[in-house]
Amino acid sequence: MIVKVDGLVKRYDKLVALDYLDLEVAEGEIFGLLGPNGSGKTTAINCILSLLKYDKGSIEVFGKPMQPNAYDIKKDIGIIMQNVAVFDELTVYENVYYFCSLYVKDRNEIKKLTEEAIDFVSLQDYKKYYPKKLSGGLLRRLNIACGIAHKPKLIILDEPTVAVDPQSRNKILEGIKKLNNEGATIIYTSHYMEEIEQICSNIAIIDKGKVIAKGTKEELKSMISIGEKITIETYTITQEQVQEIKEMPNIFSVRYHDNLLTVKSGKKNNTLVHILQFLSERKIPFGRVITELPTLNDVFLEMTGKELRD
Amino acid sequence: MLYLYVTRLKCLFRNKEGMFWCYLFPILLATCFFFAFNNLWGIDSFETIPIAYDSEGAIIDPLKEAMEQAEMAEGVPIFAITYTDKESASELLEKEEIEAYIVGNTDPELFIKQNGMNETIIKSFLDNYNRITKTIQNILSKNPNALEEGLMEDILEQNVFVYEKENGKKPDQLLIFFYSLLAFTCLFGAVWGLEEVVNIQADQSTKGARLNVSPINKMKLFFCNMMAAFTAHCGSIVLLFVYLIYVIKIDFGNNLGYIIITCLTGSLTGLALGATVAVWVKKRKEIKEGILIFIVLGGAFLSGMMFVNMKYIIETRIPFLAYINPVNLVTDALYSLNYYDTYDRFFLDFTMLCVMTIVFGVLSYIGIRRKNYASI
Repeated sequence: MIVKVDGLVKRYDKLVALDYLDLEVAEGEIFGLLGPNGSGKTTAINCILSLLKYDKGSIEVFGKPMQPNAYDIKKDIGIIMQNVAVFDELTVYENVYYFCSLYVKDRNEIKKLTEEAIDFVSLQDYKKYYPKKLSGGLLRRLNIACGIAHKPKLIILDEPTVAVDPQSRNKILEGIKKLNNEGATIIYTSHYMEEIEQICSNIAIIDKGKVIAKGTKEELKSMISIGEKITIETYTITQEQVQEIKEMPNIFSVRYHDNLLTVKSGKKNNTLVHILQFLSERKIPFGRVITELPTLNDVFLEMTGKELRD
Repeated sequence: MLYLYVTRLKCLFRNKEGMFWCYLFPILLATCFFFAFNNLWGIDSFETIPIAYDSEGAIIDPLKEAMEQAEMAEGVPIFAITYTDKESASELLEKEEIEAYIVGNTDPELFIKQNGMNETIIKSFLDNYNRITKTIQNILSKNPNALEEGLMEDILEQNVFVYEKENGKKPDQLLIFFYSLLAFTCLFGAVWGLEEVVNIQADQSTKGARLNVSPINKMKLFFCNMMAAFTAHCGSIVLLFVYLIYVIKIDFGNNLGYIIITCLTGSLTGLALGATVAVWVKKRKEIKEGILIFIVLGGAFLSGMMFVNMKYIIETRIPFLAYINPVNLVTDALYSLNYYDTYDRFFLDFTMLCVMTIVFGVLSYIGIRRKNYASI
């Protein structure tokens, strides 16, 4: 295991931020830590990095106990914080060079790694820019370059896409996949389930400092009863007819709002066929039909009774 | 290590706000002081004050003698005296041909038409004369042989000591403004000390968190950063020195070496003070900055930067405050170098300053060496 967290407890006075948290991150995976704001993701990361004291539990990184002065472990870790952590007085190039120089001694090596990191985040045209001149997206990319320039074996990204435009977000996510393909193990925290679904091979869903479910996205989705979400555009359906659909077998919930009929069904097949047949028999006209598999938000909703972004 | 030091130095010099407060602000203040007080101490521009004197027919007249002998500098008499009666003197004052007139020599009365610098000088002279006269009378009433034992010579010698230049030192109280300005600039390094700690502490900045996760030794990085801050801050002191010596034409006497050492030590005290406040005050950065500015600016006020007599008020009424005020220690050390022939007082101030620097340094070290945090 690259990271092993066992029974981690962190309290702030009476508030329990981490409640016997267990995590295991295997080598070469992109591990997603998914949870709403305030669920304890960043606290967990800060404990793993030995920035925060914790009350109970143990943390191992690369098979060794993680401590504040474990410099041999730290040299192989790259961190990309939630907030941008760069020097406003240094240019893009100087910032990446400076942070790389904290890990690497050889000057030529630092130069090479700095260039590579800048190329990696596509900031070649902004090398001489000061951070204040960069847009939010470019600034995030600089933040990433500073964290990965020394080619770490373990990269921790704590909500790196907050307040980032879609174009930069895609670039960042592609970059993370590329880093993983090059051999880095990634821990990625986010409250955006789409991002976690898109890139993570293994996921832990965290709420109130506890892991409530973990596994691959398929494994997580199989844990819940919902198998399919069907949305049908229709204008003339009555409340009685909606009630009739609700009483059909394998249907968990039906909602009619804004001319959209939303049906959540179980994992048995042919639910869509049965519903369309029902509409046709009663000559109810319908337009677009959309079927979706359950998302991680559905998983979270079923397990906690609240939305991920509540 | 050299690269870390140079990079930090680069950051400090590119910080426009920091540069303004540390480099430009003291120079602006010095310029303001210069224009505000230039006329007050420029002996070259001093003009003898026309006054009238009615001795009321006294035959032995020590006041007349004292006024005639009084000099602002060698060969520059303070008073141009017209001897006349009270009525004529009053007319001369009305026509503004004289600044004031004095009547009587045993208990002299001063008549002026308006308040101003010349009137203040005349009043000060007369107060001084009255004080000396009363002192002589007191001594003679207790010891009638005092005159034979050389009382007058002693008093005259005292007068010479007050008015004459000693070893090329200019006996000018207003220099305290500039000494306290230098001291203020030294201690203003506190703001840079604060900045260095904020940048390196994981619980105070995201940069600090990133640096704490790196494999570099925190104390090594802190040392490099503080050395860079010290270098940049020394630059501001040197610039102010150059400006004071070559533009404002301040005479710092013959102890430039000691003055520079005092200022450098003051700069270290400032940096250490800033670091201590940054580490131990658990508030937002802006509040910490406010606390430091209050300490440094308040210290400068108490050491006479805004009101020169404040230094003496504190020294006589609350001497303890004078010894724990780092701005005052630097001001007083500089003052001592220029005004006293011995170094006793200078070394006392300097030692206090060093002790203060060590205490702040140790407190900062204890706070910074902590490896992880209860909260971030």
